[in-house]
Amino acid sequence: MHVETQKVKKILADHKNQKKALIPILQDIQAEYNYLPPEALKIVSQTLALPLIDVVGVATFYRAFSLKPRGKNVVTVCLGTACHVRGGPKILDEFEKKLNIKAGETTKDNHFTLEIVNCLGACALGPITVINKNYFGQMKIKNVDRLIKKFGSAKRS
Amino acid sequence: MPLMKPIVDFEKLKEIRAEILRDRKKRKRTITVCGGTGCHAYGCLKVAQAFQREIKKQRLQNSVEVRITGCHGFCERGPIVVIQPEGIFYQRIKLKDVKEVISKTIKNKKIIDRLLYVDPETNKKIVYEKAVPFYKKQRRIIFGHNGLIDPTEIKDYIAVNGYSALSKVLSRMTPPEVIEEIKNSGLRGRGGAGFPTGSKWEVTAKAPSPVKYIVCNCDEGDPGAYMDRSLLEGNPHSVLEGMLIGAFAIGAQEGYVYVRAEYPIAVENISMAIEQARKYNLLGKNILGSDFSFDVFVSKGAGAFVSGEETALLASIEGKIGVPQQRPPYPAQQGLRGKPTNINNVETWANVPFIINKGASWYSQIGTNGSKGTKIFSLVGKINNTGLVEVPMGMTLREIIFDIGGGIPEGKKFKAVQTGGPSGGCIPQELIDLPIDYESLARAGSIMGSGGMIVMDEDTCMVDVAKYFLNFLRDESCGKCVSCREGTQRMWEIVKNITDGRAKMEDLALLEELAGAVKDASLCGLGQTAANPVLSTLRYFRHEYETHLKQMRCPALVCKEIVGSPCQYICPADQEASTYIALIARGDLAEAYRIIRKDNPLPSVCGRVCNHPCEKVCRASETGEPIAIRALKRFVLDWAASHNLKPSLPSRELKSEKVAVVGAGPAGLSAAYILSLKGYPVTVFEASPVAGGWLALGIPEHRLPRQALQADLDHIRKAGVTIKTNTVLGRDITVSGLFSQGFKAVFIATGAHKSMRLEIPGEEARGVLKGTEYLKKINLGQKAELGRRVAVIGGGNTAIDAARAAMRDPSCQKVMILYRRTREEMPAFSEEVEAAIEEGVDIRFLAAPVKVLTEGGRVIGLECIRMKLGDKDESGRRKPVPLSGSEFKLKLDTVIAAIGERADAGSLTKGESIDISQWETIVTDPETLATNRPGVFAGGDVATGPRTVVEAIGQGKLAAESMAQYLEGVQPVREYKLNRPSLYVEPMELSAEETAKASRPKIPRLTVKDRRLSFREVIQGLNEAQAVREARRCLRCDLETEDGKKAIGKNT
Repeated sequence: MHVETQKVKKILADHKNQKKALIPILQDIQAEYNYLPPEALKIVSQTLALPLIDVVGVATFYRAFSLKPRGKNVVTVCLGTACHVRGGPKILDEFEKKLNIKAGETTKDNHFTLEIVNCLGACALGPITVINKNYFGQMKIKNVDRLIKKFGSAKRS
Repeated sequence: MPLMKPIVDFEKLKEIRAEILRDRKKRKRTITVCGGTGCHAYGCLKVAQAFQREIKKQRLQNSVEVRITGCHGFCERGPIVVIQPEGIFYQRIKLKDVKEVISKTIKNKKIIDRLLYVDPETNKKIVYEKAVPFYKKQRRIIFGHNGLIDPTEIKDYIAVNGYSALSKVLSRMTPPEVIEEIKNSGLRGRGGAGFPTGSKWEVTAKAPSPVKYIVCNCDEGDPGAYMDRSLLEGNPHSVLEGMLIGAFAIGAQEGYVYVRAEYPIAVENISMAIEQARKYNLLGKNILGSDFSFDVFVSKGAGAFVSGEETALLASIEGKIGVPQQRPPYPAQQGLRGKPTNINNVETWANVPFIINKGASWYSQIGTNGSKGTKIFSLVGKINNTGLVEVPMGMTLREIIFDIGGGIPEGKKFKAVQTGGPSGGCIPQELIDLPIDYESLARAGSIMGSGGMIVMDEDTCMVDVAKYFLNFLRDESCGKCVSCREGTQRMWEIVKNITDGRAKMEDLALLEELAGAVKDASLCGLGQTAANPVLSTLRYFRHEYETHLKQMRCPALVCKEIVGSPCQYICPADQEASTYIALIARGDLAEAYRIIRKDNPLPSVCGRVCNHPCEKVCRASETGEPIAIRALKRFVLDWAASHNLKPSLPSRELKSEKVAVVGAGPAGLSAAYILSLKGYPVTVFEASPVAGGWLALGIPEHRLPRQALQADLDHIRKAGVTIKTNTVLGRDITVSGLFSQGFKAVFIATGAHKSMRLEIPGEEARGVLKGTEYLKKINLGQKAELGRRVAVIGGGNTAIDAARAAMRDPSCQKVMILYRRTREEMPAFSEEVEAAIEEGVDIRFLAAPVKVLTEGGRVIGLECIRMKLGDKDESGRRKPVPLSGSEFKLKLDTVIAAIGERADAGSLTKGESIDISQWETIVTDPETLATNRPGVFAGGDVATGPRTVVEAIGQGKLAAESMAQYLEGVQPVREYKLNRPSLYVEPMELSAEETAKASRPKIPRLTVKDRRLSFREVIQGLNEAQAVREARRCLRCDLETEDGKKAIGKNT
């Protein structure tokens, strides 16, 4: 991933280079690059005069941040309680099987990243899966294959 | 309209409101489209756009408005459209419905029937939103405006009296008066612990600091709760108004709304609301012309559950790692940036404007003694009407779950409700009448939390639920305290071992000890309450833990490692279905035959008449239809018979202790067979002239050809079992007599053949037959005299068998069945019911006989009465209730009573000192099937009451194991093992094409014409190609366990 220093600096400037804005700054960087590239974190550390370890600390503490590049499609399977009792784990199993990756991993062809979330607050639709901000409620195992085909070629690596 | 100008004073606000309302009046109708997250997922935006297009097309812009509103709560039924002012409630609206709604309902005031909600209780269609049962019992105060306003339009909020509470506070009240009002209202924090809000404000207000902050906590992390999301998305201005009032009372200059990252629409809507409020001077300097100044900023979380804790949340706002800090100092003393800070959650803030507007005394009338006002619950999980419900505190769980929630889907049984998220607990079915408030929930071992109510049914495993929460907590523990970081991990490991069938009973004590330690030694709420899910499930569902531990069984069939392949797990005869299916798939039929025979003495029978519980739990049915397991078994048996394949018997050491089995039905034969394989000389005493019990005497040949039974009987005899027929217990032999003849142990398996009486006048007339006796006669080749018109009474398998047999009797012209409930409640196997209907049996549902009509002592008819289904009884079935005045008469020649059978053990074992239950069954220890008399065991229907063939086989096998232990001089103890196959068969690779095409084969049957007057077997077998194809479709759940994965990994 090529990181343009100017782009990161602009994001920092939008937040007035304030230390207290570290989380929104990282959120904006992730929105730009789909993950937090190490180069960008260094720029943040230098600009905010924050030790890199503190920046990385925040980046690794919060679940929403990823230090690894993510696939073109991010599949998020909700495992909140309501989704759990309605069979969410079986949906996750099916995605893992069909994509041949575990939760938290990205397919080799970079088409899909599979993630889990502890609740999306859309419990009435459970079990729910979100693919790139599209919500798919009342998921059934048989829908998994169709969704994978719809969002990209699911290569069995 | 001249909007978006600062509102300079209180009068101006009123003027603007009046102006908005005047403008509104011009348009007569409003189509509100629910824009909550649920409806979003169902495509509500497209529906709203379609409405707008259609209105333009039909030139109705001036009279009809389309408004995307906040969440209506009834997410189950989205997208929801409500037409105002009438309140016409349309649900599950699709794009194609839009045009019709405009042309029919909007233009011509006609209701479109198919878009209405149907009350599942009464099957009636409901027109108005208020009349929908989901809303009827609710008291929607905080949520009241959600469905009326567009959350992105401040004027919508102003139109419903928005910001009038702020206006009142700024113009007429002092900060201490506001605090006093909130204190008097009794409002308690809606985020979890329920701390009194007014008192909380007071502490911060009194803190000596010129700079103070307030925070709105929308880090709604409790999985299963989403009312804060819905409020912030659906009515953000009500939250802002609450914050403004709070800031005024406390003396804060700045506020923060902390929203979790997973709620993008909430972030968008509250940000937009803040922008609009600033433009109106409802935020900023000198609000509404007063000297009060205040502003609000949005802070977005980044996905950490622990950040919902006050101190962690403040750290997160400051851009730091969101871990909790030691308290005191409390945030009210030193909070954000070291300044006094008051934190309340979204719902708490949203309550404030209502209290100010309507007064503390109005508010405190709602609710219970200690808990005032309403509470929003998210009613989710295994419930019919999922959604957000707002009810007064103190409503019972029953009202919430059954009256509002509509009960449990698919008629399943309610098991528990989980409240309070990971810090809460599970409340069992026994406490269904508990009135819900802060105190009652605490007493029940749970907490209110933010109001999640996750309903669980019989298919939920409570140990799995505990594991789920521990997994959540170990994952979300910030790691600061060792007790929490390590404790949640270790607790999870113990519970995981339990769900994997690898734990010991002692582990429970360790788990409880650990739970105490984590609770005592952790800094914040997460750790302090981390044990709650375990403690509350242990408190109410200890038996489920014990079943997992002792028996390695998971009754809900959830725990993967315990269940393994569900087909094998559920089979009372321990048939390794997934193994023989895998062997069929590879074409190894001889080995498949060996596997089937290994565990089942009566497989040819089971391949035909088993009720196949395996197919009911088959996971293939989750994506299509279950594997045709019974047909596959039969195919193997038929194949073996046609190839004259005889299974080899294992070598054994012959023993001297003689064993007697009384009854040659499936239970007796199975016990005899297994004991014989163990080397014991076994004699089976059978009362009737033939062996097989109900298989020979009850089931007609069109279901079970006698050569199939004979094949199994031959095999059992070959194993060394002696069968003596025409020997009746209580007449020809006695238990004591058997012992004196030298038998060392006796197994009683005499079945349950006694027909229950109808208990109506005329029952003794000629022409009234008992179902079991009729079937016995025809199965023994005796003449059963049936008339031309026959009615069978009952809805079980005996009734269906009798009716189908009567259909094959040349003298019968009309056969009907009278059943007092509906087809849904019929206990007979549904495929049998279907076949009976196909063959011309006239089934009259909801009809019961009242009196047998006779003439000269002979049946001439039946007087019957119509029934309707009333309330549910304990079994969960709706009770049939007679409809008075609905009596009717049927002309009949024969009545067959088949309303049920029961055991008759008392008369058979008179004077034998064997305990008999009130149901005339023999009392046994279910673990070993031992009776009270040493050496005497009993099983099958005589012990359990009428059950299925495969259950009887299971009982026989269990008895054989216990008896062998007894004969060896050991106290019988049931041995439990993890459900694993005896061998792992390499899986087949299916092409994508084959997978896509694969489907359950249609099982061939005789045509209805060919069945006429014939007892030829109706169901035909699969051919080899069909069988192999079907077997290849199996998902091979046996390979999903760790053992299975390992085994296959090794083989490849």
